[in-house]
Amino acid sequence: MKGTYLGEFEELVLLTVGILMEDAYGLSVLTELEKQTDRSIMISSVHKTLVRLEEKGFLKSHMGGATSVRGGRDKRLYQLTRAGIKALNQSRELRSEMWKQVPSIIWEGGK
Amino acid sequence: MRNEHHPHQFTPPMFGVRLLRAICNDELSDAVLGDLTELYQHRRSRMNKHRADVLFYLNVLQFVQPFAIKKRKSSYHINQQAMLNNYFKVGIRNMNRHKMYSAITIGGFALGLATCLLIFLYITDELSYDKHYAQGDRIFRLYNNYNTSDGGSWMAMPPSVASILREEFPDVEKAARLIPYKWFSAGSNLMRRDDVTENTFEEGFAYADPDLLDVLEIPMVYGNHQQALDKAHTIVISRRMSEKYFGNTDPTGKTLILNDDKDKGAYTIGGVMENFPTHSHLQYDFFLTLTGVEFWQGEQTSWCCWNYDHYVRLRPGVNVADLEKKLLSIRDKYQVAYLNETGDAGAADVKLHHFYKLQKISDVHLNPEKIGDQFSHGDIRYLWLFGGVATFILALACINFINLSTARSANRAKEVGLRKAVGSGRAMVMRQFLAESLMYSYVSFAIAVIICVLAMPYFNSLAGKSLVLPWTTIWFVPGILAAAFVIGILAGLYPSFYLSAFQPVQVLRGTLSRGSKSSTLRGAMVVFQFSTSIILIIGTLVISRQIDFIMNTKIGFEKDQVLMIQGANTLGDQHKSFKAELKKLANVDHVTISSYLPVAGTNRDQNGTWLDGRSKIDKAVGAQHWYVDEDYMETMGMKLLEGRNFIQDMASDSSSVIINQSMAKALGLKKPVGEKIMTWKTFNIIGVVEDFHYENMKGPIRPLFFSKGSGGLIVCVKGKGNQMQSMITSAQSVWDKFMPNQPFRYTFMSDSFAIMYDDVKRTGSIFFTFAALAIIVACLGLFALSAFMIEQRTKEIAVRLVLGASGNSILRLLGQNFVRLIAVSFIIAVPIGWYLINIWLQDYEYKIPLTWDVFVMSGALALSVAVITISFQTIKAARSNPANGLRTE
Repeated sequence: MKGTYLGEFEELVLLTVGILMEDAYGLSVLTELEKQTDRSIMISSVHKTLVRLEEKGFLKSHMGGATSVRGGRDKRLYQLTRAGIKALNQSRELRSEMWKQVPSIIWEGGK
Repeated sequence: MRNEHHPHQFTPPMFGVRLLRAICNDELSDAVLGDLTELYQHRRSRMNKHRADVLFYLNVLQFVQPFAIKKRKSSYHINQQAMLNNYFKVGIRNMNRHKMYSAITIGGFALGLATCLLIFLYITDELSYDKHYAQGDRIFRLYNNYNTSDGGSWMAMPPSVASILREEFPDVEKAARLIPYKWFSAGSNLMRRDDVTENTFEEGFAYADPDLLDVLEIPMVYGNHQQALDKAHTIVISRRMSEKYFGNTDPTGKTLILNDDKDKGAYTIGGVMENFPTHSHLQYDFFLTLTGVEFWQGEQTSWCCWNYDHYVRLRPGVNVADLEKKLLSIRDKYQVAYLNETGDAGAADVKLHHFYKLQKISDVHLNPEKIGDQFSHGDIRYLWLFGGVATFILALACINFINLSTARSANRAKEVGLRKAVGSGRAMVMRQFLAESLMYSYVSFAIAVIICVLAMPYFNSLAGKSLVLPWTTIWFVPGILAAAFVIGILAGLYPSFYLSAFQPVQVLRGTLSRGSKSSTLRGAMVVFQFSTSIILIIGTLVISRQIDFIMNTKIGFEKDQVLMIQGANTLGDQHKSFKAELKKLANVDHVTISSYLPVAGTNRDQNGTWLDGRSKIDKAVGAQHWYVDEDYMETMGMKLLEGRNFIQDMASDSSSVIINQSMAKALGLKKPVGEKIMTWKTFNIIGVVEDFHYENMKGPIRPLFFSKGSGGLIVCVKGKGNQMQSMITSAQSVWDKFMPNQPFRYTFMSDSFAIMYDDVKRTGSIFFTFAALAIIVACLGLFALSAFMIEQRTKEIAVRLVLGASGNSILRLLGQNFVRLIAVSFIIAVPIGWYLINIWLQDYEYKIPLTWDVFVMSGALALSVAVITISFQTIKAARSNPANGLRTE
């Protein structure tokens, strides 16, 4: 189902919005993501993901926080919704559950 | 944030910003643009402007993605619905507020559309002839083509061609002959069932081969294709005739008697065929079989006489051009052989110029090959012409709409300004005006359909058709709705572009010059309308003059007060006494009996003639051979130029002929009287008759000679003075005495004469109607436009009047602009009109000269109509009380 599935990049964006709290908008998410992951990301893909996550109901947004640097334009500020938080939790639980099931020998042998 | 305190800001490239606005939906664009601007600021602090610009553009281009372009619809949908309602509400209010403009726009539109619709129906009707055959692409008729300048194409062929086609050409699946014109019993006959005595006059007889039923795929009600005509003296009748004579019973095997001749005129009914569909070039009720028919000894095998039309069905996949080449073997093997045998000098010529060709049956009606036959044909050029004219009239109506909408733009400018100020985009304003134009278009279409229904009878009599609106056809209603949509959009496009471009600030401040901006364009449109009108007026004038010329020119005989009594052949031996009885009547001047008359629908007999003894040396002169009696020329009022008339009971006159002037010329005779000519026998020329027109005036008068005969199909009675009515009654009583069982049928020669020129008159009246329509539409436009212009200048006129301007000077001031436009139209229209009407006149051998007064008259007419139109408003303005004009505001 499209509604509940969370892609890897989507999950990262969702987490970044959580990290940034009050000041999560397109550019700040991009900067934070690049800093955290150390990879180069296109601004359009950030916007695209934000729009999609809002459509899925994991994020909500409002306009605000205009600055002169932006030519006086408002930011679209994003916040996690209840559903977003739940999705992140589910995702983490799923992972740790699966982590537990991997025999510890793998990790030791992997060294 | 350092930058917030920094006074200096870098602005990203303007074009990029606009580009992003264009790409991105409104939801997203502000936030994205903010982000990109912020990013741009960061970049500028690190790199030069050029690189930052390039990166900015790249960022913008990244947003060419569905998610950004896509319009989010959530609340927009309902909004649009509401706006649409608003558009229509405003549209209707506007319509009501400016009743005159709306009426003119809609009325003009509706008129134009109705014309187009009628013409469209007419054209589709003309194009739908002979399209109903299942194997129509394989059915052809065979025709002769003589490709010299005085040659041409014709249908009739010798009787044996059909069997040659069957035996020697495997490409031909079936071949069948038809005798479609008055010849022996083909044409019209008196007819009765063998068990009654009353005769009825019936038309629509033709001789046909049994296979014709199959080739033409005629559905049979009773009987079948194979056996219906396979025995001698069989007849196939149409369903309506079967119902008329036999009710709902199967008449197969019953007998019909033609012309009261129980012996030779008895025909057994072999079957009943379905009535011919209206869109077939053939319309017959009776097919007499050609099985066992031989009109005279050796007729069926001889190559002397060409009287049979041939219809063929080819095998699938036959290449027509190849077959036409193969068909030439008929010419070389039979025709040329016959000519050589008889020693005809024409053999070499025939071998060079005579071709046998095939015409597809679906082409017969419009007849692009111009084959001479006795069917009535459409003319593709008229279809183009009418189509063109209809398009022009529609264009005029559209132009009115555009003109009036833009002219009234000033009144709508404030509305547009306000709409934009409250947040409507240009696209929305455009949509509003398009919706309004659509509304006008639909209302106009509804009215147009009503006009069509009302005008249909008139148009049908005008065009000689029986058209109806095809409500039941699948495409009609959707087609009309779609056409209304397309035309509405097209007509509304320019006004909507023009009106939606207003800048709200300018408009609301009131600095926009009032509606004068596009006056050049409006002028051009008026010029276009009036040029078209003037061209149509020129056409109408010339055509009506040509018709006048034809109807009143010296035609070489007297067509008035001549009664034509049909069916004289049934008098048999009594014709002489009948004629004598008629002559005794007080109100009768002259009486003659002949089958050959210089009007439509009577017999013709084309022959090759030579000066005596020169048939092997000279080329033949084709001439009409008419059998007439000694009273013929007097009754017809023809003038004998030289020699003498036939003399009653003079035995030697059986080999005398009277030739017409053009025959004397064709034979090269200076003194024709006393010379001899030969055709199938030798004749002495005893006189020369003045040329008279016996075909329509499209061609020259062709050679013709009279020889003496007695009897014929038609008795012509020339009445004295104005006593036609009493003469008819007395002639009828004589007829009833002789022929109590036969109907007395008569026509007036002037009517039969007029029939020959029906198509010219028809073109004339259709043109007249078009010209009138075009002028009405153009004048409606001009009227509204002048009214508008004057309304705009109310205050100016008032001021002028107060300062002492006279009414005349006001008239001049307001009128001169329009008069100038009409003058320009005139200059444009004259050469085009001259060129077009010359093409039309070329069809006529006898035609009026094209004089300058036609052009002056049409110009003057257009000008006066225009002046009258605008003077309504201008006079009102010039006589108005200036106080009223100044009091406003």
